[in-house]
Amino acid sequence: MKTLRPIVLNLVTWTLVLLIAFPLLWMIITSLKPQSELFRIPPTWIPESITFEHYWRLLSETPFLRYFRNSVVLAVSTTVFVVILGTLGAYSLVRFTYRGRETMAMLVLFTYLLPSVVLIIPLYLMIASLGLSNSLFGLILAHTTFALPYALWLLRSFMEGIPEDLENAALVDGASRMGAFKDVIFPQLLPGIISTALFTFILSWNEYLYALVLVNSESVTPLTTGVMSMLISAFNIEWSLLMAASVMMSLPLIVVFAFLQSYLTSGFGAGGVKG
Amino acid sequence: MTAIATNPPRDRRSPLERAYARLGVLLIAPTIIVFSLVIVYPLLAAIYLSVFSIYTPTLQGDFVGAANYIELLTGGAFWHSLGVTLIWTVGTLSLQIIAGIGLALLLHQNIWFRSLARSLVLFPYFLSTVVAVLVWRWLFNDLYGALNHGLIQLGILDMPLDWLGSMPNAMIGVILVGAWKYFPFVVIAVLARLQTIPENLYEAARIDGAGPVGRFFDITLPQLRSVLVVIILLRAIWDFKEFDLLYLLTGGGPVTSTQTLSLLVYQEAFGLNQMGQAAAYSVGMMLVMLAFMVLYIRRTGGK
Amino acid sequence: MANVTFRNVRKSFGEFVALEELDLHINEGEFVALLGPSGCGKSTTLRMLAGLEFPTSGEIMIGDRVVNDLAPGKRDIAMVFQSYALYPHMSVGENIGYPLKKRGIKGRERDDAVQKAAELLQLDALLDRKPKQLSGGQQQRVALGRALVRDPQVFLLDEPLSNLDAKLRSYMRAELIELHRRLGKTMVYVTHDQLEAMTMASRIAVMHGGRVQQFDTPDAIYNRPANRFVAGFIGTPPMNQVEGTVEGGHFITGGHKVPIDRSAYADALRDGPVVLGVRPEAITIGKGEGLPATVRLAENTGHETIVTLELPDRTRISARVEAARRLDVGHSVALTFDPDAIHLFEASATGARLNLDAKSASVVSMRSK
Repeated sequence: MKTLRPIVLNLVTWTLVLLIAFPLLWMIITSLKPQSELFRIPPTWIPESITFEHYWRLLSETPFLRYFRNSVVLAVSTTVFVVILGTLGAYSLVRFTYRGRETMAMLVLFTYLLPSVVLIIPLYLMIASLGLSNSLFGLILAHTTFALPYALWLLRSFMEGIPEDLENAALVDGASRMGAFKDVIFPQLLPGIISTALFTFILSWNEYLYALVLVNSESVTPLTTGVMSMLISAFNIEWSLLMAASVMMSLPLIVVFAFLQSYLTSGFGAGGVKG
Repeated sequence: MTAIATNPPRDRRSPLERAYARLGVLLIAPTIIVFSLVIVYPLLAAIYLSVFSIYTPTLQGDFVGAANYIELLTGGAFWHSLGVTLIWTVGTLSLQIIAGIGLALLLHQNIWFRSLARSLVLFPYFLSTVVAVLVWRWLFNDLYGALNHGLIQLGILDMPLDWLGSMPNAMIGVILVGAWKYFPFVVIAVLARLQTIPENLYEAARIDGAGPVGRFFDITLPQLRSVLVVIILLRAIWDFKEFDLLYLLTGGGPVTSTQTLSLLVYQEAFGLNQMGQAAAYSVGMMLVMLAFMVLYIRRTGGK
Repeated sequence: MANVTFRNVRKSFGEFVALEELDLHINEGEFVALLGPSGCGKSTTLRMLAGLEFPTSGEIMIGDRVVNDLAPGKRDIAMVFQSYALYPHMSVGENIGYPLKKRGIKGRERDDAVQKAAELLQLDALLDRKPKQLSGGQQQRVALGRALVRDPQVFLLDEPLSNLDAKLRSYMRAELIELHRRLGKTMVYVTHDQLEAMTMASRIAVMHGGRVQQFDTPDAIYNRPANRFVAGFIGTPPMNQVEGTVEGGHFITGGHKVPIDRSAYADALRDGPVVLGVRPEAITIGKGEGLPATVRLAENTGHETIVTLELPDRTRISARVEAARRLDVGHSVALTFDPDAIHLFEASATGARLNLDAKSASVVSMRSK
């Protein structure tokens, strides 16, 4: 009884974990199956042979690489823009007193919860009238609508975790406010900034609706709408190719998960789920 | 004493204090500008647009007053979508919470390769919705899908099911995928809270003779209460406004049986090209959400 | 070196008034303790002096400069924080050298100054460590080192010892006294621990409810408390307070007469309700003549016994007797108070001392405004 319990617990847990992970495993398995094996009934759970032909085709015969490049530019620009603004803004919101500060904090939280579809119509009109339709810059601007409130909220929470006396000590030691920020607060905030940057990057990387509405030119299409269009345009849906695209599209996430997972979990604690 | 009372301290801030306040405003200024441009202005514009009738391709339109709102109240589409949204939200949220708490409790135990198990469970949350949808559509495929064949091989089904093309399967399908994608959020939040419950509470309960079930209901659940309230509010808001997952899985179909409010707004604006009506729907949707938002802001905004 | 002056300083946070009206003059080279329970305004006072909080009204001066509008870094002060506030990403050496770096002192000169401060505090072997790798006592010394490395006019210390264990605390008390003697600098020290204030300070400002209750030497604070609050705050156990009345030059409580030294009061001694204060060590427990009381508790600490006694009106008072003395709980005894050690206070809530001298009176009189 005493020795059986942990084994049962492990078996139950791992069965559930594998069940949850199965779609992901199936994605990888499908992407490696040769075309001939794909449409077997019933499907082969473990592939009989493995091929990388779909990956090769994805990279050489489809605009996947261009989509990938667009997504990198889009997500990196959004992240850099939003994290810089958010860091300064969070410093202001947490460590300064001025009229309207509380209102601003409330507005940030409010917009953090706002549905994108409310903003999409006027944004569509605005970006069109600015002549920014079908440009990455217009899309970056649109991405700030969800990324900036998110980053501000996260960074605000990280900033609150830095003891106020640390900044006070620097002030007494002769630093100016911005000097104290550079010497003391920024180094302390860095893990929070990294965490926020990762979250913002993932949000922007995964975003679909704005890209769908604001972009219809191949040259600026990011991965989300690009890969989806491969599904719709194909006469005969090539599931292996799509699964290969899905795996490739998830690569940045896999890298983040493998090396930087602790930053993701710490971001969670900060992101409004503290009890 | 009287001298102090008649001089309210408000505008007697020292130059240093004022300089600090100026710096604070300067630091938030870029954020305010961007906010006004991409959030506040569009938000107000949405309300403004909602009293016009605008044809999307030409962007020409006339002032129609409350006509769009009368259509919203009497047309039925809004109420139908609101009902769909509520079913979707309640369904997927309950699954997320139950699965989330359950897995968090399991992953809190001493499991073999615990961190690997945690990573695998968390991964769907960070996955692009596009990827999640592609994978699930492949799994749901009625001819070659792994789900149907798996269930047949396990003897649960004897015929392949049409997962996304008919009701109620389509609703069950999206609720299932929604739960799969978003329950890790609950897992992480609950796990973090579980780690802060002091062990001596459990020791005290054990001394008092409480079994594992009793300890869960008497200690774990009450300790999780406050974090659960926040999670439920936050996830309710996010699930309520979910667009990508439903749009990509079913497109609102079959017909409009999974068309939530977000999809209705999109469909009206870019499918039916009625931008003014769509704006009115979006304002209506926001008003419904406002209750949850105010509740959440009350709950967490103060701190 | 410089003196420090607070003139009519008031501080409120919205509706909440943290400091009512503060007038305090600290002399050059003095070691002054701001002592009081939490929320009394002592930390706010120190932080205003540092420039970390802004007075709502009034003037703060260091030397002959009004510093209200000066940034903390320009006030020529150094501060030790309760949490130490060491910069976690900097080494011990970088922490101590930071104030110099911010003043543009570079290279050899800075290294030498850091080395000197480190040697003074026996930190020279730890200069390359990060704060996290140090013990609490070592961290505390780094915080001191960061304050010492420059030659500031005033040292501000905000409960610097409260995070140390009892043994280390008493060691650091001696160190700080020695340091003050050697540097001869003005020091303002915030604490809630009366032992620290009594042993280290040349003068103590006892604070309560946003006001200075008494500002005087430790001796005067102990022996001539200005009001009931100070009397009840200083001493372990603190001064006993017995309610009663003055009738014809005698103190009467519960129908019993307590002799007092009338000459000490002159015309301040009028008939009416008063509160009598007497320290536990000025009480003699005997039989027969005296104030009747019942023994409720006797706590032997090894070198003395603290006896808790109950008067007929249920007031509990404590008395200090030698350790060997045996007193049985429940027994009736008779108490006599040393007439020279009796203090009389007004029966009002503020409870000012009846025979205040002019200096203390000036502090206390403001409270009646």
